[in-house]
Amino acid sequence: MSSRVTRAVARLTAALGLTVAALAATVAPAGAAPQAMGQCTTSSGVVLAVDFSHWGGPVYRSCGTTPTTGYELLNQGGWATTGTGHDGPAFICRIGYSGHQGGKQYPTPQQDDCVLTPPASAYWSYWHANPGQNTWEYSQLGAMLYKPKPGSVDLWIFGGTNIEGTEGKPTVTPDQLRAHNTRPAGAPAPKDTRTAAPLPPDVNTGPRPENPPPADRTPPTAAPPAQGAAPPVPSTPASPASPSAQPTESASPSPSSSVSPPASPSPSTGTGAVAAQAPGPQVVEAAPAADAEHDTGSYLPAVATGALVLLIGAAAVFAAKRRRRTE
Amino acid sequence: MSRTTTAAAAPPVSGTAPDPGGRRLPRTLHPVAWWIWALALATAVSRTNNPLLLFLVLAVLGYVITMRRTEAPWARGFKYYLYLALTVVAIRVAFRAVFATGITPRDHFLFSLPHIPTPDWYAGIQLGGPVSLEALLSAATDGLRLACMLCCIGAANTLANPKRALRVLPGALYELGVAVTVSISVAPQLVASVQRVHRARRLRAGRPKGPRALRGIIVPVLEDALERSLRLAAAMDSRGYGRAGTATRRSRRLTGALMLLGMCGLCAGAYGLLDATAPKLLGLPAMGAGAVLCFAGLRLGGRRITRTTYRPDPWRAAEWAVAGCGVVSAVLLFSNAGFNAAELNPSIYPLSWPTLPLVPAAAILLAGAAGFLAPPPTAPVPAPAPVPVPVQRNEEAK
Repeated sequence: MSSRVTRAVARLTAALGLTVAALAATVAPAGAAPQAMGQCTTSSGVVLAVDFSHWGGPVYRSCGTTPTTGYELLNQGGWATTGTGHDGPAFICRIGYSGHQGGKQYPTPQQDDCVLTPPASAYWSYWHANPGQNTWEYSQLGAMLYKPKPGSVDLWIFGGTNIEGTEGKPTVTPDQLRAHNTRPAGAPAPKDTRTAAPLPPDVNTGPRPENPPPADRTPPTAAPPAQGAAPPVPSTPASPASPSAQPTESASPSPSSSVSPPASPSPSTGTGAVAAQAPGPQVVEAAPAADAEHDTGSYLPAVATGALVLLIGAAAVFAAKRRRRTE
Repeated sequence: MSRTTTAAAAPPVSGTAPDPGGRRLPRTLHPVAWWIWALALATAVSRTNNPLLLFLVLAVLGYVITMRRTEAPWARGFKYYLYLALTVVAIRVAFRAVFATGITPRDHFLFSLPHIPTPDWYAGIQLGGPVSLEALLSAATDGLRLACMLCCIGAANTLANPKRALRVLPGALYELGVAVTVSISVAPQLVASVQRVHRARRLRAGRPKGPRALRGIIVPVLEDALERSLRLAAAMDSRGYGRAGTATRRSRRLTGALMLLGMCGLCAGAYGLLDATAPKLLGLPAMGAGAVLCFAGLRLGGRRITRTTYRPDPWRAAEWAVAGCGVVSAVLLFSNAGFNAAELNPSIYPLSWPTLPLVPAAAILLAGAAGFLAPPPTAPVPAPAPVPVPVQRNEEAK
């Protein structure tokens, strides 16, 4: 009986292994990379903003390349999230940024244990603002499924909403957060850290910030989204490997031509920093950073528990044997 | 068949038996004490997601069951609960792998399932895709928690005599109690049926395999269950169940109305307490009103029925100790005293080793003390039980 089961399991494992080997070569995860804030323009890149004002922090904003998902955007360049035990990582329960409080994620475990789905009165709600629009739209999709458009803004705020998202709207406006420059500016985009091949273990995105964008002084260029300001160059510097590695990726270069940064960007070009002059919460730019240090802890408690379980099991077996002998 | 008659024919040995060797008198513990112990442990389990604590709970359950189970048919069913628990974990892991929850570069990539694209209007569900170690581990720990709670209920079913549990209910709840007892003893009954059919099949030659074997098991088991329930119904009928007694029509209606309103109050109260957006009035006040109404209904209904019990189960120090150590372990886990609450839910994203918080571990081990706090269930000397020899040998051969 048991040998049959073992054989069946072995066969299943072998079949599964073959399938995995066959598939591993074909599937390539989507590649998205964090960018310096200056690389986001009105028509390329996505601005990610996270509001920590519930815990007395600022509103951080950073930039990422497209195509991406809301989840990838929130898990690169020093950002990190935690899901719930019940729903998995797709339900954003905690958000942290390695440049804020040493990467501490909010809400803290004391405030929400993130085992079950958090209540509708205190959770991270997800808002979009499409390019050129100054209104927030409550996300109808989860972070892993939503693919932000180039030039749009993604915002995460903590608090309560109703189901339709008509209550609990953000207090900042999209215009306070979005990029207003039509051309990429500031430091060049970080070097490509993406792995086009299937993800090997221990891959670390989160390139270190090479040069944080210089302090911006030039007034914002309040130009409308200028489509096709430059000849459409399909590859941004961050995606040289993508055409060959991602044949299945549905999101192709978007119609709004992604503006390729100049070969040697002049560091004096200002970025659009309009946020500071508006009332409301403080908006701080979050440069791409390395992931926060994470301590994996010690394996000794697990070993100790294993020993304890074995001890209890041995005691039970001993008792059962003695009982059988006396019977 | 012989096993059931033995079980029914051997009433729990009461405290009057002579003490053989200076040991504690063997007797069966009050079934309610086992139920309190197991439900408290399940409550404690619901608080934690720490796999170390969960494995500790499983070990403790196994220990207590090996120490204190009887030889009754329902007392052999724990392994079926373990199978069920394993199924729960497997289903959770499989679902988490198939309905992919995505992967980040930080995760440990394990393997990739074929991705089935879904249309845009059906974007809420993703099928297939890369699977990470973190996803599988979080599904497994989540499943393990549910599995542990299932095993707690299984332990109560294994340790407590379901027939004697019925006796302790208040008179007004007798009819309700019968329904509850029948429903909670379905699993042990099924286990007993499966075992008997299995034994009968082993005695026969030429056992079929595959789907035909399934038919050979399922049909007799279902037949057996039906037969049993008919027998139970006949037995209950002959003992006067479903008799309204001396109650007038008006008092019966009043009792029914009180109970119904009380139950509605309890439901509304539970909803109000659990949903943070519900108005405050719906929480504790509704709960309290519901409890009062239920209590009044019970008192009113209980007045019309007087029943006596033959040899009632005693509630002595051992019962207090067993129920108490279960409740104390639940209270300790919910008290947050002496440990960090975050340790109960170790982080999986990013992956880290779980810690073993001392106070919860000690609380769970304390619950395991029930294994020696309860009196031994059977006499160490072989009882003159009328067990037929062939069946006995069959049992030994297992």
